[in-house]
This record gives sequence, structure tokens and C-alpha cells, in this order.
Amino acid sequence: MAVTNNTVIRQITSTRRSLSAPERRAGYGMLIPGLLVIAAVTIFPIIYSVWMSLNNISLTTNGYLMSFAGVHNYNLVMHSAKFWHSVWFTFYFAVVTVFVELFLGMLIALAINGVERLKNISIVVMLIPWSLITVISAQMWQYIYNGVYGVLNYIFISLHLIGSPVTWLGSATSAVIAMMVADIWKTTPFVVIIILSGLQMVPKELYESVHLDGANAWHTFWNITFPMVRGSIALAGLFRILQAFGMFDLPYVLTQGGPGTATQSLAVLGAQVMFQNLDFGPGSAVAVSTVILVLTLSLIFLSAFRNLVREGEEQ
Amino acid sequence: MIEAKWKTVLRYMVLIGFLVIILLPFYWMFITSFKPDFDLGAYPPSLFPHHWTFKHYVDAFTQYNFGMYIRNSVIVSIVSTFFVLMFASMAGFSVAQLPVRGKTPLLVALLVISMFPSIAIMSPLYMLLRHLHWLNSYQALIIPYTAFNLPFAIWILRNYFLQLPKALLEAGRVDGASIFQTFYRIYLPLTTPGMFTAAVFTFVASWTEFFMALTFNQSNTMRTIPVGIALFSGQYTIPYGTIFAGSIVSILPIIVLTIIFRKWIVSGLTTGAVKG
Repeated sequence: MAVTNNTVIRQITSTRRSLSAPERRAGYGMLIPGLLVIAAVTIFPIIYSVWMSLNNISLTTNGYLMSFAGVHNYNLVMHSAKFWHSVWFTFYFAVVTVFVELFLGMLIALAINGVERLKNISIVVMLIPWSLITVISAQMWQYIYNGVYGVLNYIFISLHLIGSPVTWLGSATSAVIAMMVADIWKTTPFVVIIILSGLQMVPKELYESVHLDGANAWHTFWNITFPMVRGSIALAGLFRILQAFGMFDLPYVLTQGGPGTATQSLAVLGAQVMFQNLDFGPGSAVAVSTVILVLTLSLIFLSAFRNLVREGEEQ
Repeated sequence: MIEAKWKTVLRYMVLIGFLVIILLPFYWMFITSFKPDFDLGAYPPSLFPHHWTFKHYVDAFTQYNFGMYIRNSVIVSIVSTFFVLMFASMAGFSVAQLPVRGKTPLLVALLVISMFPSIAIMSPLYMLLRHLHWLNSYQALIIPYTAFNLPFAIWILRNYFLQLPKALLEAGRVDGASIFQTFYRIYLPLTTPGMFTAAVFTFVASWTEFFMALTFNQSNTMRTIPVGIALFSGQYTIPYGTIFAGSIVSILPIIVLTIIFRKWIVSGLTTGAVKG
């Protein structure tokens, strides 16, 4: 019996294998073109970036000359106060804005969850900042923050919050906060939408059962709602932070990295070194260092995130 | 569960307050674009324009080439979206339905790649495009936009293709159709919502991209809208009126898109939660 069964199984698997050969061929045929495009524009240039960062590079009329320089460029970068300032600025800007966005997003989503009227229009309005060109929002905020005729000064003076006009983008601290506000304004609605759709997946019966148990709002939130949406919040936060590490548009237009270098993100610094000073070697070293930072961070986050999800599943 | 009335009122107040905060800066931009020049730098600013003028809209198109920026943006975004849909639908179908090896590492790798900051590839791409004499050309943006939006589109479409039964493939074979024909005629029409989602995300990402557009296409005739708006400059002052007139014009089509496709955008945000 066992022998016949085995033969039958072998026969079945062999026919399946012969049937799946064209499927496999078609599979690779349809997959590879897309992967080649991705590889050509991302993977190969990243590897080439690493190579460029190890060379001295000078531009010629139609090309460039490279001579191997070892870790010379990295030495320059690692000893540059400007670089470390950019790392620190990019890092805390990302952490603070993403934290505020998630916190505000959670509060607002909880407050408006279950609102029936205005639902469609709200979603459209919340999507507008997401689809807005960052350059436009930067110009808009620059006009609002203007120290002479900006409307923010007018509002704050009318409310007696300040006595005389403030040049918001003129001092380091207020420029950083102003930029954070612009970023939070643009991204919080997006976070609200994500959390809102997470909340809508929480079964209503769960709430009803705790309600009968006489739990208060805080208990309901902490024991029912939060564990259910924790995964999607963590994921959204992770991606937002990683994305914030590439931040370029907002500082480039709103403050040009200033005043001084107060709001110079890693990408703005890298672009300046490469495309204004035409120092492609050190510029590539900045770019590669940014990638290493992002990779390290995502590994740390991913392992933390895995624990978080596992914890959630065990409960 | 019946809620107290005051709670419902509170919910609506939070919602309306939130919507007002989102919209107020837009209101300011909107009315500024209609204010005459002498009103733009006035203090205290007028919260409603006393004289309305279309001058800035006319200026944007006659003096500042805004029509050309729009044309460039439309061409680059539409062609990139087309290529993304073409490559991503095939790849997503392949990963979801066909027996290719190494799917899981591939999908993770795609996710990691989509998170890479674009500064990482800037200098080699710039060198390459310069060498090919492709700086200031449409392909200088279409190719990177296609590549950068592919990973996310593959993810979205894979999720849609996964929901379809494998038996369709069998049925196609019985009818004597090739696998590609089965994909094209049977599977693809069933994933229209996924295609819409991928299309909207790619289009918006290409429409708003600034870093590469600024670096690769700086010549005035090849600028896209974000570059045009960033580099608008007057002789003595920043021409905010014209900047905002152009901005309003470029926001309108996207708002229309958002209204039409909001269902698919939200579904993309929740299945992916990747792009911001």
C-alpha cells in the first residue's frame, strides 16, 4: 500500500513540476524587467556611491576623474562639526515631529472616531496636505512666518501673546520650531487617517463587553483600543522616521538650512557639498553615512517592532 | 452603546476644529493670490482682499512660464505612472500567483529599498545622466520616478493579486491561453482597484518630487512645478502673489483626483501605510 501511494504521489508531483515549468519561466519573465529597473536606479548607484566616497573626484567637461583615496573622505566628514550637527538635527527633528504627529494623530482619531456626518468631506480635506507639494507648503509657511508682514505676527500680537513682531525664521530655536510646526501640520492628517482605519477594525462587541464591566474610558483605551492599533502605529512611526532622514524639500525652501546651519538636514548638507561645491567625494561620503544610519536605525526598529507585535499577539 | 449628547457635540467640535486648522493656511494662500501687489507686504495684513485681481495668475503664465512647468510635470508624472503600472502589475502578479523562488526576501528587500533616502543615489545618477547628456530631459526624471515608485506599487498589487483564486490560471490553461494572456485578460481586469491605488500614489509622488527634479532638470524649460515654484524669484522681492497663483493652479487637479480616488487612496494607506 505504502509503495503504491508513494508512486502515485511521485507521479503527481512530477506532473505538477512539468506543468509548473512554464509557469516558473513566465514568473521570472514578468518579474525581472521591473527588478532590473529598480536595480539600475537604486542598487547599482548605491554601490557606486560607496566607490565614489572612497575616491578623489574632479569634474571634467564631459566626465570626471577619479583617484583612489581610501577613507580620506570619511576622515574629512567624521571630523566635520557641520556633519555631526546635521546628523543631530535630522535625528531630533525626525523623532520629535514623528512623536508629536503620532500623539496628536491618536488623540484626534479617538475623538472623531464614529462621527458619521461629514465623513467623506473630512477624508478629502485630510488628504489634501498629504498630496500637497512640500515646496508649496514651505513657501506658504515662509509667507506666514515673515517677520515684517507675516500673518502669524498679526495673530499673536492681536492675542497679546507677543508685544512686537518676531522674525520667526531668524533665530535658530524659533526656526526649528517653525519648521516642526510646518511638518506636523502637513503630516498629522495622514496619521489620523491611518489610525482611524485601524480603529474601525476594532470589533464593537469588545467595547460593549467592557462597558458592561463598568470600565472607564482610560481603561477601555489602554486595554482594548491601544493594543489593537499598536501595530499599525508602530509601523507608521517607523516609516515616518526613516523617511524623515531623507528630509530635503522643507529646509531647502523654508530656511535654506539657516539661520546659519541650524536647520541643515543631512540631505541638504549632502546636496550642498555635491552640487554647489562640486565636492563629489566628500558628498558621497555624507550620502553613504546617511544610508548606514538609516539601515542601522531600521534594523534596531525592526527588532523592537517584532517584539512589540509578538507581545501584542500573546496578550 | 448610546453616547451622551455632549460627547457627540464634542466629537464634532474636534473634527471641525481640525479641518479648520488644515484649511486655514490654504485660505491664506488662496486670498493672497488674488491680492494686488501693494497688499502683499502690508501690515496689518488684510484678512480678506479689498480689491481682487487676476494679475498674478496672468503673470504666472505669461512672465514666469508656469504653463511650461505644468506641461513638464504632467508629462513626467503620467509617463512614470504608466511605466510603474506596467512593470508592477506583471511583477505583482508573478510574486502572488506564479512559482518563483525567494519571494519573501525579495519583498523585504523591496520594502528596504523604498525607504532609502534619495541622497544615496544622487551623485552617481547625476554623473551617469551627465555622461549620457540626459540632464534636462524627461527621461532624467521618468526613469528614477519609475524605479522609486515600483517597490510600493509591487507590494500593493501583490496584495490584490493574492486575493484572486489560483484556479483562474488553470482555467486559462484549459482554454489554451498562455500565462501572459491569462494575466492580461482575466487577472488584470479583476485588480482595477489596486491599479487605481498604485496609479494615484505614483502620480502624487512624481507630481510632488523635488530633490531629483531640482538636481537633474534645472534649465528653465525643463523644470517641473515644484522646481518652478521653489526658484520663482523677483528682482527685489519674493513674488508671493505669483508663487501662490501658480500653487493654487497646481493644487486643483490633485484635489479633483483626491475626491475621485479617495476610497483607493485610503485603502492604499491602510494596506501599505508606507508612503507619506
